Formats: sequence, C-alpha cells, structure tokens
Amino acid sequence: MEEQNVQLEQTLGNIQKLVDNVETVIRGKRMQIQYVLTALLAKGHILMEDNPGTGKTVMAKTLAKSIAGEKGGEASFKRIQFTPDLLPMDLIGSHIFDDVKKEFVFKKGPLFCNLLLADEINRASPKVQSALLECMAEQQITMGETTYPLEKLFFTIATQNPVEMEGTYPLPAAQLDRFFIKIYFGYVDEETELNIYKDYLGIQNNLDTIKQVLSMKEILFLQEQTEKVFIHDEIITGVRNIVRDTRKHPDIVLGASTRSGITFLKCLKAFALVNGRTFVTEDDLNQLTSAVLDHRMIFRNKEAKQKALSSILSKELDRLSKLKITTNANTYNQGLL
Amino acid sequence: MKIGRVYSWKKVVAQLLLLVVPAVVFFFYLLWDVNRFYTILQNDWVKQGCYFTTGIVVANVFYSWRFRFVSTAGVLFLFYYAIYKYIGSISVGEFDSFYLSVQFIVFTFLFSLGWLAGFGFSRSRYFTIFWSVLLLVIEIVVVSKTADVKINVLISAFAPVLAYSFYTIYTAELIRNMNEEETRFGWFITKRITGFLLVLLVMFLVVFTVFKNDFKAIEKEWGNAQANYNKGDGKSENMNQQDKDGGISNKDQTKLSGSLSKDKQLVFVAKLDNYFDDGKTPNPLYFTSCYYTKFDTLTQTFERDSVMPYNDLFEPDPSRIPLYFSKWDSTVIKNTFATKNRKVVTADIYKVLLSANRYLAPSTAFFCQPMSVPKEYKEQYKSTYRAKMWVSDLNSAYFIYNPAGNKMLEQFQNVRFNKLREVKKITGPDKQFMDYYTYMPLNDEYKKITALAKQITKDAATPIDKMIAIRDYFLSKDEFKQPLFKYSDNPGIPGMPSANKLTYFLFENKKGYCAYYAGATLFMLRSLGIPSRVAAGYLTVDRSSKNPGWYWFYANQAHAWTQVYFQGYGWIDFDTTVPDMNTHQASQPDGTPPTNMPQTYLVADGEVTELDTVKKQIKMMVEKLLYHDKDYDTKMVKEMTIDVSMATITADTGAVKLSAIQKGNHITAVSYAEALKNNVATAKDSLGSIITKLPLPVPIDEIKVMSKEELKKLKKKTKEQASEPVDWIKIGWIILLIISACVILLFLSPWITWQYLNAKAKRMNEQKAYNSYRASLYYLNQLGYSRDSKGPQEYSYLIDAKFNTPVRVLSSDKGNDKNLHYVSFYSFSNLYQKVKYGSLPLTETEQKMVNEFYKPFIKQVRSKTKLKTRFSKFLNIYNTIHYFTQPK
Repeated sequence: MEEQNVQLEQTLGNIQKLVDNVETVIRGKRMQIQYVLTALLAKGHILMEDNPGTGKTVMAKTLAKSIAGEKGGEASFKRIQFTPDLLPMDLIGSHIFDDVKKEFVFKKGPLFCNLLLADEINRASPKVQSALLECMAEQQITMGETTYPLEKLFFTIATQNPVEMEGTYPLPAAQLDRFFIKIYFGYVDEETELNIYKDYLGIQNNLDTIKQVLSMKEILFLQEQTEKVFIHDEIITGVRNIVRDTRKHPDIVLGASTRSGITFLKCLKAFALVNGRTFVTEDDLNQLTSAVLDHRMIFRNKEAKQKALSSILSKELDRLSKLKITTNANTYNQGLL
Repeated sequence: MKIGRVYSWKKVVAQLLLLVVPAVVFFFYLLWDVNRFYTILQNDWVKQGCYFTTGIVVANVFYSWRFRFVSTAGVLFLFYYAIYKYIGSISVGEFDSFYLSVQFIVFTFLFSLGWLAGFGFSRSRYFTIFWSVLLLVIEIVVVSKTADVKINVLISAFAPVLAYSFYTIYTAELIRNMNEEETRFGWFITKRITGFLLVLLVMFLVVFTVFKNDFKAIEKEWGNAQANYNKGDGKSENMNQQDKDGGISNKDQTKLSGSLSKDKQLVFVAKLDNYFDDGKTPNPLYFTSCYYTKFDTLTQTFERDSVMPYNDLFEPDPSRIPLYFSKWDSTVIKNTFATKNRKVVTADIYKVLLSANRYLAPSTAFFCQPMSVPKEYKEQYKSTYRAKMWVSDLNSAYFIYNPAGNKMLEQFQNVRFNKLREVKKITGPDKQFMDYYTYMPLNDEYKKITALAKQITKDAATPIDKMIAIRDYFLSKDEFKQPLFKYSDNPGIPGMPSANKLTYFLFENKKGYCAYYAGATLFMLRSLGIPSRVAAGYLTVDRSSKNPGWYWFYANQAHAWTQVYFQGYGWIDFDTTVPDMNTHQASQPDGTPPTNMPQTYLVADGEVTELDTVKKQIKMMVEKLLYHDKDYDTKMVKEMTIDVSMATITADTGAVKLSAIQKGNHITAVSYAEALKNNVATAKDSLGSIITKLPLPVPIDEIKVMSKEELKKLKKKTKEQASEPVDWIKIGWIILLIISACVILLFLSPWITWQYLNAKAKRMNEQKAYNSYRASLYYLNQLGYSRDSKGPQEYSYLIDAKFNTPVRVLSSDKGNDKNLHYVSFYSFSNLYQKVKYGSLPLTETEQKMVNEFYKPFIKQVRSKTKLKTRFSKFLNIYNTIHYFTQPK
C-alpha cells in the first residue's frame, strides 16, 4: 500500500509534467490537454471538433511522443486520415497470401497501436465508422473468425470538422457515446497567438526533442487507480441531479442516459487525477459537465445548446456550494490512500 | 382575412378561470355592498353583476384575437348609440323613456366597465394594478358612507379587497409568464385553482372563528324575527321595531314614507316623579329613546349618528346590570351644558313589551338601576328599572300646544317663554357643535324650506319667538277656517318617487305624521341657525287622575319630535305635530299600577359554583354585594350559601324555573328577609366580613339569571367600550413607525446577515472551513463579486487577482520557530474543497491555513474596498437576495 502511494504520488507529478510538456508545443491549451488526459485515464476516447489548423493533430502527436513505449521507444502512434472512400480494411488490416508459407497471413492495420489519431472522422462512410466502433468499445478486432486483441493501451483521438461542412457524415449516436469527452479546440487568445508566431521554429523544435515523461506502464497504473479516486456522495448526487435534469429540461429533446452518467463519474475521477487530486470536487463537475454531456444530447436549437446545460449546472453548483461539510459513512474505507 | 391570435386558447382559459371568475365574484360582492348604500342603482345587484360579467367575459375572449382597442371600442360605442336611439323610439311617455334610459345607462356603464376590465386582463400587464387601485377607491368611498368607523369595520371592508388585489396581481404575472408549451396545462390550472380555493377556505375559517359569536347572534335574530322580517319593508313605516327577544322598542332610524302603521299594545308603564310647582299636578315628560341627528337625503331617512358631538345619550342595557346595582354616566350631564333650571327627576319603568335590553327615560337620563318587579305583578311586567334624569324645569309634554284653557299651564307656558326670550341668539358651546346641529343639505328643495322659515318668522325677534311662529304656522287655519296642516298616518307619497317628501309635505300635501312635522320643523329651525335635532321615543299622555304620576304607554304612542338647544338651558323638547283631528280614539283606560316595592336588605351578585336542587340551595361566589343599600364591590371573591326555596327566579325573558340555573351562571340574588333587617353592618365591614355575619344559608326572595353567553357578550362589550376611543393620529404614527422600522430592518438585513455569518466564521468548530468559506463568499457577493456559475477555482482565482489576496498567515510548526505562509483565496478554496469532498483529513499545516485564513482575508478585502463603496454595497438588498436564491 505504502509503496503504491509513493508510486501514485510520483505518477501524479509526472502527469503534471506531461501537461507542461505538451504545453510547450500546444500553447495556451492547458484545459484541452487536461481533457485529453482525462479521457485517456478514464479508458475512454476523445473527440475534438474544430476547424482545421487549430492544433488537433499536433496535440495527438505530442502526446504520443511524451509517452514512453514498452520497449524503450515511444508509444506507437498511428494517424489515419478519414476520407469518404476509406474502407474498413484500411483500418483493421487484411489477410494477405504469404507465398512462402502458402497461407493467408493477417496483416495488421493501423488500429494496432497505442495512440490513434482518427483525423476528420466524420468524412468517412458509416461503414468505416462502425468498424471503429468495436475497437473503441471492446478493445479488440474481429476479422472473419479470429478475434485479435488490441494493445493494452489503446486511445483514440478523433477530430472532426463542424458537421455543417460539406461532405461529412454525422457520427451515429452510439459512436458518439464511445467518446467520453468531446471538446472544442478553439483558437488561442491574441497574446498566445503572437507568441506562437514569434516562436514557431522553437515549437517545431520542441516537438522534435520532446521528452518522454510518462511510461506506458505508469499510464496503465493510473488507469487502474482512476477507479479508486474518492468521490463524495454529494457529488454523485450532483451527477444524478444533472443527468435527470437534462431529461426534464424543456429545451433538451433527448437527455443524457444512465450510461452517460456512469461515463461522467469515470471522467470526474480521471479529471481529479489529472489535476493531481485524489478526490472529486465541485470544480471538476463545473469543468467537465459540458465536455462530457454536450455531445450526447439533442437540443431544441442552437441557443438552447448554449444555455440549457449551463443553467442546469449552475443550479447544481449552487446547491453543492451551500452544503455543509459532511463526511461519507465510508470515507476512510473507500479512500485511495 | 384571418385574424391571428394573441394567445393560445390555453392562456385565455387560464385568464378566464383565474382572473375573470374571481373578478366577477368580487364585483358581485362590491355591487351588493354598493347597493346597500346608494339608491341610484337600486336593488338589482344580480342583474348588474350579469351586465358586468357579460362585458368582461366577452371582452376577454374577444381581445385574445388581434383586435385593436380603439376601433373596436368605437364599434361598441356605435352599438350603444343605436340601442339608445332604439329605446327612444319604442318608449311611450316621458316616464317610460326616463326609466328605460336610466336602466340603459346603468347597463352601459357596467358593461363598459366589464369590457375595459376584460381588455385589461387580456392585454395590459399593469392593468391589474389599476384595477386593484380602482377597487380600493370604490371600497374607501363605500366605507366612508358607513356611520361608525370602527377597526373591525375597516378590516372587514378592506381585507377582502387587499387579499383580492394581491391575488390578482400575482396571478396575472403568473399567467403572463406561463409557458404556452407547457404540456401539463390541466395540472397548472388545477394547482392554481386549488391554491386559490385553499386560501379562500382559510380566510373563511379565520373570519368565521373570529366573528363566530356575531354569526350566531344573526342566526338567532333571523330565527326569532323571521315571521315579521319584512314587516317594515315597502310602503308602510313603523315607529317601533320588533327586537330579537320578541320585545319592541324605538327604531334606530325612521324613514319618511307613505303611511305609518300603529299598534295598540301596551309597551311599558312608568311612574314619573315630576310635578308642577304645586307639587300635586303631574307634569308629564316625553320618554326619549334616541336622537336622530342625521338625515339621509337620498333615502329620506332620519338616522342615528354614533359620532354626534357632546353625546348626551345615556344608553345602558338594563338587562346587563345586576339587580339593584346601578350604572350612571355623569358625562351626560356635562354634555347637556344645562346649568339653569335643571333638576334631577326619578322614574320607574315597568316593561311589558319593551325589550329587556332597552332603556327609555325622559331626556336627559344619566342613571339606571334595575329593580325586581313585586311578586304580585310578575305576570304582568317583565322587568323594571329606575331611571334618573337631569330634567329641565321648562320641559313638559304640555309645552307643545295651547294649554287648552288650563290656567296653570298657560301660566307655565308664559313663564317659560319669558325665560327663554332672554336668549337673544343661540350660541353653542363651540363651532363644531353649531355646525353639526345646524347642518342643512345643499339642495334647492331645502332652500325652499329656508325661504318658508324666513317668511314665517320674519316678525319674530328671539329664537323662542321664531319657534312659536313655526308652531303657530303648523296650527294656523286657511281661508276656510280649516286647519292648514292635518295629522295623518297615511299622508301618501308624491307622484315622482324621487321627489323630496318634506317639501311635498310642507308645500303641497300638508298632511303627515310626527316624523314629517319633526323633520320639517328641524330644517326650518336649522335654516334659521337654531341648533336642533329630532328625538324619538314615546309620547306621554296623562289619562288618569286616579294615580297621579303614573303613565301608560302604548305602541301607537311611539313618537318623534324636535329638540332645540338653548345655552344655559340645554336641550328642550319642542313638538310641532298637530293633534289628530279625525280619529277620536277612546283613550285606553290605565290599569292599576304596581305598588309595594319591598325593601331590599341584601343583593349579591356572582357566579353559581354549586347547585343543590333537592335542598334548594345554591353556593355562589359573591363578587359584588349590596347590603342595606351600601355597595361592596371589591376584587375579593367570597363564597356564600343561599337558600332559594322561596325565591322567584327571573331571566330577561320573564319568570323561569329553578332548573334554568346552571353551574357557572351569573346570578343576582336579592333578599327582603326580615332576619337581615337588624343585622346591620358597621363601617369597618368588608364584603368578606359581612358574609360571615350572615345567617347561612341566606334566605333569598329573588334571583335574576344572566346566562353564560350573555355574560360573555357583556364582557366583550365592556372590553370593546373600553377600547372604543380610537386615536387615529396615534395609530397613524404607530403604523408609520412600524413601516419605517420595517424599511430600516430591510436595508439593514444584508448587514445583519453579514454579522451573523461573520460571527459564525470566527468561531472555531468543525464547520470552521465551511463557515469561513460561506462568510467570505457572502462578503464578496455583497460587494458585488458574485460567484454566479463560476467554479470555486475560477472564482477564487479572480478574487485573488482582484484583491491581491495571498494573505499572510502565522502558524507555528511543532513548537519551533514561527513560520509564515502565504495563503491565497485560491488555495483556501482548494483546501476547503478537500475538506468537503476529500477522503483524507488535512495535514496540520493545512488545517492551520484553513483556520487562520479567514480574518486576514476579510481584512485585506476590506482594505481594498473604500468605505463608501462598502456602505452602499451593503445597502443593496438585491445582492443579498441574489446570494440566497437559486439561479434560474
């Protein structure tokens, strides 16, 4: 136990380092980096939506480079550019006839990696998207009769262009659900942008020489520890309230599901870890609600999309902030440390 | 063309159910109320209510489509005009058209009002406020019409209006903000209506419990008086009224009407101790019941006024005074302002039909002592009391007319007139008095009366001469030697229903009963500046030479006459009613008067504590004692056993059986027993010591029972009377004080809240972190930095930037040197979150940081905010509300 604690503290420190590390390349996007890591620790996947050129791909690349692979090298990173004529086989791999052995050999596709960047995922046809579904959900690929397990650490960073753009297929709800978090990358503020322009060579340099601060093992360890992060009953009640409120809200056509609630809890725990904490706070709730729930719901209109969830959230935050200090009955039994 | 809708049908239904229906109900109530006080709309409040209802419902539905108000109102006006023209064309005769147009005006007015209200409810947001104000104004006008302004009248008048106003304004806002997409519309309506009904129910229950006794009294009254409830209604007027206990008495008002009904029942018998100077010839006096000092010109009714200046009317309730105990009121004497030629006269009144609670005596009475009726006469007379009056020498029933050749009376008349001639001009005690008693309605009709009065009295110099001139005018003969004015119980009414009956009487009909003469005289005198009023009571007729001083009063002797005020002499009766020439009624023979009033030795008043019907003994707690005519009334209560085997028992209703007495009853026991005659009390004796001296059980000859209910009423009444004089200015100040205190408290509330939170935050306990955080949050919020939807981290980050608040916290580590920590609000917030949601206890340093953070932090924030800003921010109650309410 004691040993584990030391390890945990160390890895928590490493996470901070990782964030700092990535930030040397992706400037002014600390929040987004944290979200990405949250999804990673929660054993989920992340969907980033924004216009091209906001740093989505670089982010994925930097992240991959920062993680040390199992055999010394960095984590295996694959990038697939999704296009309308992409076929499932292009992702999964295919059986190729081996002349020497006189048999069909399975040639692994790009999905067999640690970190997958699925660029412009909504440009691919539904067929391809559904192929990705199994991988993301089950961590395995079934080809014919054989099922191939994926890497232990399999993390997808998908990007998508805003749905309104031409030549896009909207992602099916089931697939959206696999993405624990959906974030908007957004443009950086003026000052940061100026810095980026002044120092773009340096940034490129940083990307090349980035240090590996976290090992794959550590990430797997953290993923394991995520489940043990302490979450106060009131926060769980808060999650319950928020999820239920989305179903009642007049501006929300389709509210959040129970599975969303569970995902939400997982993300909260992961987010706490990313922030170096072993317990979940109001802040986590405040910062994660929209990232986790937004893409799972259908709103009446655009205006509602901006207001509905934040109103539900602020009501719940208000309730939580006025609560007195109470201790869970099983606080000290359930705790991580 | 399709006309769009302003609202969906749902909103219209909501408006109809929640706004229009209550408005209609309330308006019905208001119309009913108004109809009681005004005659222009006369009587049919149901019909009027229907006009209004139609207007409001039609308009409300109509304006839910996009119609413009001005143009549609124009169309409505055209309709009105067309109908008006049509009425003109179909009505036959002047009266018909007048009647119809009045009806139509009423209809137009109410329908338009309803229409406006319907429009307002439908379209205007602020209409409900105007509407409430309008209703309040109407209610104020109505209340101002009521004679006696008492606090409960005010409450009963304004409480419903205020409650309704609040309801309407609230509901209108609710409907305005109603979500039209609301799927559970039925539930919305049901909830509101149920709420409304519940409020009504609660109000009703409160009103019922508060006024329970009044309801019961009314019920009783109706139960008793059902049979003759409508007797006085309509064309015929009666000077007497039937009381709820079956007795009769003078009415509180008398209306000038077409005919007077009279009965020939014996009302009471009186022995009046008033004789002329010779000491033998009885001098009868009119028995006064009340004064009509107000005249309602609309209904042409004389009314009592509870606020008449210098009230000299003594009105005890004899049935509420224990037997042989007396009640008097010396302010009555003071208020007569009579210093000359006045004396005290005694009268014994034996009630036959006169209500038990009524008090009658010649003016100006100031004393009342209920007595017991001698045994032999118990069947004949219900009860009796003794009255004492401050009577003017100049008063006499004979004063009125030519004394019919009786030398002595003629002389008396002359003496009197001569005395009164000394008063050259009447001046009242003050201006208010004169204004009140010389008030004339401003109206052409009354100017005619003034002119007549001036003409009649043009030769008279002094007030008394003017009065004589008026008397002579009523007694004068026309050119055919016929009396100019005749007495008639059925004078008839003028052709026009609304015409003034007094001028009709004076100038055309010249026939009438007492009220006409009294009324006409009153206004003639007042027009001459002579203060006068109408008195109501009984005419005293001396029919018997056998029993001098005894008078019999029959129901048809109920009378009204004028009283005139002379300074120094006070109010003097002045009757101008001419004798009835046509009906030579045979004078009723007077009966034999009750005599042998026994001497009472002991009268005890108190509550029954024990009752033994077998032994016929009663134990009572004596509260008041009258022994050998000496009054012992102390706070001390003493038990006494009395023997009631010989006693006659009476209640207000007459003789009752012993079984009527119950434990807890209040009784008055009277003893004539010879055994007590020689048992004289000494000066030292108190109530207690007398009772111990008495032979027990005390033989009692007479018991008067007061029931529990009546006693309660009595107590309540005395309480009410005690709190009667309402100092409105004082109440105004108190209200002002309360309101300003409330306002100050309201503005102070943010500060008080802060003090509370601050004090809590400074205290050291396990909720320290919470209290500190809450107090900090409140303080910042009050200064205008509200957290809103920011998370704790984001918020604390902003605050740190704003107030530069990494504050220094002293904390000593394990006894060694003192360590300095800088704690920002940000880190404090995080620690607080850890305490609140974390699974781990804080480390010692962290704990110290949490504990020590609060004070320096607040100090820092305070130092960064100007005092002026802080002061003004702390007056801002909105911030406080914002802090405590949930975000929408």
